Amino acid sequence: MNTVLILLPLVLTILFSLATVPILVWMERRIAALIQDRLGPNRCHINGIRLGGIIQSVADMMKLVFKEEFLPSHIKNKFYYLVAPSLAFMSAFLTFMVIPYADNITINEKTYYMQALPTDLGVLWFLAFAGLGVYGIILGGWASHNKYAMLGSMRATAQVIGYEVAMGLSLVSMLITYGTISLNEMVTYQSQSFFIIPAWGIVIQPIATIIFIITAFAETNRAPFDAAEGESEIVAGYHTEYGAMKFGLYFVAEYIAMAASGALIVTIFLGGYQLPYLNTNDLINNFELVLWLIIAFAAVTSIIFFKWMKKHNIFEMPGLDEKKVYATLIIGFTAFAIVVMSYYALGFSEGSSVGVMILQFAIFTVKLFFLHFVFIWVRWTLPRFRYDQTQKLGWNILLPLSLVNIFITAIVVVGVNYGS
Amino acid sequence: MENEIIFTILALVAIVSSIVMISAHRPIDSALSFIVTLVSIAALFALVNATFLFVVQIIIYAGAILSLILFIIMFLNIKDANLPDEKHKNKWLMGTSLIVAPFSYILIDLIMRSDIAVNGIAAENFGTIKDVGLTLFSKWILPFELVSILLLVALVGSVTLSKKED
Repeated sequence: MNTVLILLPLVLTILFSLATVPILVWMERRIAALIQDRLGPNRCHINGIRLGGIIQSVADMMKLVFKEEFLPSHIKNKFYYLVAPSLAFMSAFLTFMVIPYADNITINEKTYYMQALPTDLGVLWFLAFAGLGVYGIILGGWASHNKYAMLGSMRATAQVIGYEVAMGLSLVSMLITYGTISLNEMVTYQSQSFFIIPAWGIVIQPIATIIFIITAFAETNRAPFDAAEGESEIVAGYHTEYGAMKFGLYFVAEYIAMAASGALIVTIFLGGYQLPYLNTNDLINNFELVLWLIIAFAAVTSIIFFKWMKKHNIFEMPGLDEKKVYATLIIGFTAFAIVVMSYYALGFSEGSSVGVMILQFAIFTVKLFFLHFVFIWVRWTLPRFRYDQTQKLGWNILLPLSLVNIFITAIVVVGVNYGS
Repeated sequence: MENEIIFTILALVAIVSSIVMISAHRPIDSALSFIVTLVSIAALFALVNATFLFVVQIIIYAGAILSLILFIIMFLNIKDANLPDEKHKNKWLMGTSLIVAPFSYILIDLIMRSDIAVNGIAAENFGTIKDVGLTLFSKWILPFELVSILLLVALVGSVTLSKKED
């Protein structure tokens, strides 16, 4: 139990970052298709099983892994050229380490942290390693020895330097509000509610939320701030000269960075692993009731999903009958989950704190995937900003706005504390 | 014991990369080995429990200032022909290190005799964010404000200088 609980957040970090990349690629393509009113990739299959198109991103990853490792002959600095993608990948991965996936859990009078790195540095750790991520891009662009790559990496650097200031300042106003830099304490703060409104960051600090989300887009080089790889102007930017898995690392690093910023937005502004009005103690005390609600929810959603699949899954594929396989799996899994949950819900066994932990993982995952959806939604809705517009937005609008926001926040916080 | 091994490794990395930094031929090599120095010094801070210094070192120096320096180096687009011809670099290095050696021996001896070396690992709350903040804003408030004014003057100065050109 001891080792499992210590290793669990590490495993979750890998799951949320590396293992979600094929799903994110799939989401990106299918949501793009949805927005542009087409189907997207859905024909690639393993013996008839298509998983709605996820097999396509698995196939793409396989292609990247087995492609020939090609080194362009004009590259002089081979070391920098090869180390750059792994720098980008490493720093994106490290930013994930401080995200709390569930509340601290106490079993047998020993407290376990549900963060991969149980440190109080929280937000500062994220800022530190998000800032290091730009070295991968700078070095890659410089070592590629190519005009387009160089332009792309210079754009990326200027953009990251500009937006990091606004990002840090918007975080400062959140730090003043919460009075802590530990991410777990921030989430605990957000479980309170003022009158009937939950005290989520997005409610008490809407301006900081908007600034942070915009800067997070810019920091991860996602559209509409992806001038660094503007393919219509500078071919593909910093990764023009990269192929096979060296490109794959950049590709994965971008998605991991996106996932990490999404996780941080969830943690700071969207209440983290908490449900509104219910803090961890409430969930533990009313665990039986919560379980009955989940059982009802699981039954209803699986029926709805079942009907939806029957209506829309109409392609005839060779091999196994996909619909039958999914139907068996869904019915089997739901039945199994309901049996297990009713065993606990009827009070045969005590497992409320572990159960609440799993529930909080689930809440966090749902919120995180909603954020992924928003990231992709924005990418396929807004056109790319011109480069000077990006700089103007960063320095002339976001920076003063976040300074004003800090000023107002400080006045309000001091005023509230002065009275009491 | 483990701490000493980690300390030795980090210290060696910091020293070697700082030697590379001053002796490298191309500016980009210097800048990159300087990043290695800064990160390993940050790790040394973390080793003595100064977590705030660790993270600030990475955010400010490694994250912001060095990326600015790299940006400028890339912007200047220095070619091999522009770099100075350093024929007797190794001789100079050997000579100067020989001259400096006795002084550094005295310095090491002084440090070993003073009580800094004895203290070893600092107290639990040394260098945490709360402790640093309280010390800065109570004991050292005047120097702190003076330094911030100094930085502001530099900032305003650079803006005025860059405005003059157009």
